[in-house]
Amino acid sequence: MANTLRLYLTCIRNTLEAAMCLQNFPCQEVERHNKPEVELKTSTELLLNPVLICRNEAEKCLIETSINSLRISLKVKQSDELENILTKKFLRFLSMRAEAFQVLRRKPVQDIDKEISELKMSVNTRGRLVATEFLKQFI
Amino acid sequence: MAATGGFVEADNAEAIITRIEHKSRKIESLLKQLKPVEALKTALEGSPPMTRDERCKSANWIVVHRALMAIKDVDGMLSSLDPEYHDILMKYLYRGLSTGDRPTCDQCLRIHEKLTEKAGLGCILRSLADTVNTV
Repeated sequence: MANTLRLYLTCIRNTLEAAMCLQNFPCQEVERHNKPEVELKTSTELLLNPVLICRNEAEKCLIETSINSLRISLKVKQSDELENILTKKFLRFLSMRAEAFQVLRRKPVQDIDKEISELKMSVNTRGRLVATEFLKQFI
Repeated sequence: MAATGGFVEADNAEAIITRIEHKSRKIESLLKQLKPVEALKTALEGSPPMTRDERCKSANWIVVHRALMAIKDVDGMLSSLDPEYHDILMKYLYRGLSTGDRPTCDQCLRIHEKLTEKAGLGCILRSLADTVNTV
């Protein structure tokens, strides 16, 4: 049981590390604008394949990347009311206190329960390391 | 990988499906002989067959899935698999992970960890970035 959790988290960690290859990329249509491509989906060549990692039917993680932004959507198992409340608190904490990365949107995607969207505007290696370490604490 | 006429039309899809069925019979016989590694290699060869047809991809996925679930010794399998198949295997692993079916996901997670150790993050990134040859 604990073993599949460890494997699931390792898989997400490796995929995220590979997916966080972001760079600053100004909008191609409008001058001097910088838009998160994963939200707008204006140019298909800038988007990568979305990846869905499931641990079982109740827990999954959808990762969508593009050239300058990445969206992670997590569905966490909530088997009773207490876990429900804990998840909500956890998510509030993440969205409000996450200064290490810039969180743009907090709206869920369709049937995925929670969503956090991150945008990295610059090629800042240190910023990336900090964000990875920060995320690791909660995973 | 010609730029024009690289993708097959509907009538060729039938030919590909028959080829996949033929492959699946071969794999069944290999599995009966308790050679799951050979079965996986056969399943990964000749795939993805440069087609946009969903049926071909699903048919191929079923075959690969059957071979993947039969693997017990992951390390041995990875050491005998050629590096050129790593990228294709990674793409199929992600397809397996998206199904959400518990035994499939368990097996895929196990293989994913070992494959990442072996092939590195580049393998993951190639499977993410390749929008042309999807499985």
